Amino acid sequence: MPARPIRRRRYRSVPIGRILLLGFFVIFVIVPLYWVFNTSIKPSSDYLAIPPVWFPDEPTIVHYTAALFTYRGLEGLINSIIISSAATVLSALFGTLMAYSLSRYNTGGQHLSFWVLSQRFLPPIAIILPIFLIYRSIGIYDTHLGMILAYTVFTLPVSVWMMFAYFRQMPRSMEEAALVDGCTRWRAFWTVAVPLAAPGIVAAAVFAFIACWTEFFFALLLTSKNAFTLPTVFRSFLSFQGAQYGEAAALSIVSLGPSIALGVLAQRHLVRGLTLGAVRG
Amino acid sequence: MSETNVIRRLEAAGLPPQLSRFGEWADRHFKWVLVAPAVLLILALSIYPLVYSLVVSFINFDFQVPGHAFVGFKNFERVIADPVARWSLVLTAFLSFSSVAIEFILGFAVAMTMMRSFPGRGLIMSILIVPLFISPVIVGQTFTLLLQRPFGPTNYVLSALLGNEVTISWLTESPYIYFSLILADVWQWTPFMFVILLAGLTAIPPNLYEAAELDGVGPWQVFWSITVPHLGPMILLAITFRLLDAIRLFDTIFIMTGGGPGTSTYTASYYLYTIGFTQFHLSQATAGSWLFLIFTALVVVFLVRRLLKAETN
Amino acid sequence: MAEVKITSLHKKYGAFHAVRGIDLEIPDGEFTVLVGPSGCGKSTLLRMIAGLEEITDGEIEIAGEVVNEMRPRDRDVAMVFQDYALYPHMSVSRNIGFGLKARKMSKAEIDGRVRAAAEMLGITDLLDRLPRQISGGQRQRVAIGRAIVRSPRIFLFDEPLSNLDAQLRDEMRGEIKRLHQDISTTMIYVTHDQIEAMTLADRIVLMRDGVIEQQGAPLDLFERPASIFVAGFLGSPKMTFLPGRLEIGDKGAAVALGDGAVVIPLPADRPLAGATNGMSVILGVRPEHVSRAKGQDLGPGHLRQEVAIDLLQPTGSRSYATFKLAGMPVMAELEAHDVSRPGETIAVDINLNRASLFDAASEKAI
Repeated sequence: MPARPIRRRRYRSVPIGRILLLGFFVIFVIVPLYWVFNTSIKPSSDYLAIPPVWFPDEPTIVHYTAALFTYRGLEGLINSIIISSAATVLSALFGTLMAYSLSRYNTGGQHLSFWVLSQRFLPPIAIILPIFLIYRSIGIYDTHLGMILAYTVFTLPVSVWMMFAYFRQMPRSMEEAALVDGCTRWRAFWTVAVPLAAPGIVAAAVFAFIACWTEFFFALLLTSKNAFTLPTVFRSFLSFQGAQYGEAAALSIVSLGPSIALGVLAQRHLVRGLTLGAVRG
Repeated sequence: MSETNVIRRLEAAGLPPQLSRFGEWADRHFKWVLVAPAVLLILALSIYPLVYSLVVSFINFDFQVPGHAFVGFKNFERVIADPVARWSLVLTAFLSFSSVAIEFILGFAVAMTMMRSFPGRGLIMSILIVPLFISPVIVGQTFTLLLQRPFGPTNYVLSALLGNEVTISWLTESPYIYFSLILADVWQWTPFMFVILLAGLTAIPPNLYEAAELDGVGPWQVFWSITVPHLGPMILLAITFRLLDAIRLFDTIFIMTGGGPGTSTYTASYYLYTIGFTQFHLSQATAGSWLFLIFTALVVVFLVRRLLKAETN
Repeated sequence: MAEVKITSLHKKYGAFHAVRGIDLEIPDGEFTVLVGPSGCGKSTLLRMIAGLEEITDGEIEIAGEVVNEMRPRDRDVAMVFQDYALYPHMSVSRNIGFGLKARKMSKAEIDGRVRAAAEMLGITDLLDRLPRQISGGQRQRVAIGRAIVRSPRIFLFDEPLSNLDAQLRDEMRGEIKRLHQDISTTMIYVTHDQIEAMTLADRIVLMRDGVIEQQGAPLDLFERPASIFVAGFLGSPKMTFLPGRLEIGDKGAAVALGDGAVVIPLPADRPLAGATNGMSVILGVRPEHVSRAKGQDLGPGHLRQEVAIDLLQPTGSRSYATFKLAGMPVMAELEAHDVSRPGETIAVDINLNRASLFDAASEKAI
C-alpha cells in the first residue's frame, strides 16, 4: 500500500456556518412568539404604527380581560382543563392496561397492536361526520362527556404505543416473582408493574394532555355554546378581522402556557412521544 | 446463614386464599379484560362511525334533499366530478410534500449543528421544541398577526431589508398565500424532524467517525457513507409520520385563509368540512371522506412497507 | 416438601422447539441441577415447573398432582431469579414479606417470619433499606429470604449467581449448599456453570438442544460421560479428544492415532460393547490423567511416552502443559515443578483406566 501522507488534524476552527444557521433558526422560532406576546400587551392605538411597535411604552392587560371575559375565553379555558384532564386520565389508564396486555401476553398477536396504531393515522375528517350525527342522536353533542370520550379515543393510540414501548423494555422478572409469590395477575400488574412504569405513564399522560389541549378539529365540530374548548374561542375573532388582534394574541398566550410548560418538562420523553415509542430518545 | 449453622425451618406458609368466582374469571381472561376498555372505545367511536359513514355514503342523506334512498355510487360520482374536490386533493399533496421536504432539509441541517455539545445547548434545545406544544390554531393565528396587512410587521421589515416598498397581501393573494401556509407549517413542524433526526444522529456510535477520521476520510464522504446509511430508517420514520399528519391540514387553513380566496386554499379536509358542515351534503361528504381515506391508506401502505423493510435490514 | 415428575414435556415458541420431550423424576428433598449451554432449554423447563411458561405438550406433576393448568400462585413454589427481581419500590422487609401478605397473613405473623428469615441470612440490619441501597450479594440474600420465608414445597433457582463477581459467587454457592443441607427441601437449580453444577448437585441433569443428554450423580457424569458432549462440558480444563482407529487384536484392543504413528493399548479389562475392529473412535483423556513419569513403569492401563512440552501454563498449585501426541495437542495437569520451561522433553504416564472411548460416528460412549 502506498504510504499516505499523514494529515495533521487541524485545530477545530470556529464553525461560523453552523452558528449562523442555528442562530437564524432560533430567531425564526422566537420572533413569531415574541410578536404574539408583544401584540397581547400593546395598546390598540399602536396596532398600525409605522414603524411597528416592538416594545410598547405602556403595556396593558385590557386584551387579556377582554379575551377572557367578553369573548368567553375563561369558559373555554375551564372547559379545556376539565375535558383535557379527564380524557388524559382515561387515556393513560386504558392505554396502560392495553399496553401491558399487548407487551406481556402478546394479546391478539401483531394484529391488535397495529390496528391500534392505524387509528393514529386515520384522518379525523373520515369519522367526524358520523360521530357528529351519533352525538346528536344520543344527546352528548356539545357536552363535556362527549368531548372527553372523543379525546380519549383520539389519544389512545399514542398512550397505548408509548406504554407498549415502555413495558417492552421493562424486565418481566419482577412481575413473575410476584406471580410465584402468590399474586393474581391483576395484583402483580397493579402492585408491581404499575409503580415501576410510573415515569412512563406520566410521560404518556403529558403527551395525551398536550394533544387534547391543542386539538381543534373535533372541538370545532362537536361543541358549540356549552362545552367549547379554548382553541375554538379563536373562531370569535375571525369575523371581526382587524379589530381583535390583541384579544387573539392574549388568548394565545394564555393557551400556550400550560402545554409548553408540560412539554418542556417532559422533554426527556419527547422522542418517544413523537414516534409512539418507535425511537428511544 | 453465616451466623448460625442450624436453621430453624419455618412452618410452611401454604397457599394464598382461593379466588372468588369473579376473580377466577378475571384472572383466566386477564389479557382480554385489560384490552377491553380501549378496544371497546375505539370500536364505538372510530370503527362504528367508519361503518356508519360507509352506509351513509351509499344512501341519500342530505339536509336539502328529503328521504334516505339507496343511491349506489352516485355520491362518489358527484365528488369525483367536482373540480373543487380534485383541486383540493392536488393542493393537499402539493402543500404536504413541499412542507415536509422543507422541514426535512431544515430539520436535518439544524440537527447536524446540534450534534456536539456546547454551552447553552440545553437552553436552545428547549426553545427549539416549543412549537411542537402549540395548538395549530394558535400557530395560524400567530402567522396571521405577522403577515396580515396592514397590521403585521412583515412587509415593513422586508421593505427595510430590500430597500424598496413591499406591499404583499400574504393571506389573500396567490401565490403568496401558499407560501404563508407552508411557512406556518414549517415553523411548527421543523422541530419534529429536528428532534427525531437528532436522536438518530446521536445514536450513531462515535467510534465510526473516529475510525473514518483516522483513515483520512473527508467530511462529505463521512456524511454519505456513515451518517446517511445509519439514519436511513429514522429518516423514513420521520417523513412517514410527518406526511401522514400533513395531509390532514385543516386548522391553519381555517384560521388563516378560510379556504379563500375563493376555493384556492381548499385542502381535502377543508373541502370535506365545507361540504358536510356548511352545505350539509352529508352523504356526499362521507363518500368524499372514504375516497380520502383510501388515498391516505395508499400512502400509509406505501410508506409503512418501506419503513418495516428498512427496520428489518 | 414435594417430588416432581415430568412426563414427555414439550415447549414450542412458534417454530422454535425449545423443550423436546423431557422425562424426569425429582425425588423429594433432592438438589437437582439443570445444566447445559445457553439455549438448551434448561431455563424454559424451570419456568414451566414454576408455571411461568405454558406447557405445549406433556405433563408436570408436583406431589402427585398434575399442575399443567395451575397458576404459579397455587403451586406453592418459590423462585430466585437471575436478576434477583426484587421489587425496587419496596423495602427489604416488604420484599421478603410480600408473599406472606398475598396470603393474607396477619401483620404480626409476617413481621415475625420476616425477622426469622432475615436472621438466618444475616441481613437484619438491612430490613428498612431499598434494594438499590444494598450490594449485589445482599440482594441475593434478600431474594433467597423471600423464598425461605414462605417455606415452600420447592425452591427454584434460575442462574442465581451469574450476576455476582467470582469471589462472592464462591461464597454464595457454599451458603446455598448449606441451606439445602439444613432445610432439605426439594431444590431445582439452573446454571450454565459446570463447577456450580458439580459442587451443588445431588443429581445433575445435563441438557442439550431441549433434551436430556445424561443425568446422574455428579461424579458418575464426570467419570462415565455418556457422550462426547457430556465429557467436554464437565471438567476444566476440558478433556482432550484424540480421534483414531480401534484395533482389536490377539493381545487386546488398542487405539491407533494418526495413521498408526502412536498406538495406545487399552486396558485388557475394559468392556468394548458394540465395538468393531477398525472403527473410528475418539479417545478422551482428562488433563489430570496425564502425569509426569516417575520411577517404574506403572504397568497395564498406563502408557509411558516421551513428549516435548510446547506450551506451559502454570497456575501456582498445578501447571497445565501441552504436548503433541501423533501431531495432536494433548493437555496434562502436572505438578508445579514437573516442568520448568516449554521445549523440555519429559516422560509422561497416561492413565488409560480412566480414559473415555467414544464412537466417532454416534459420539456416544463405548
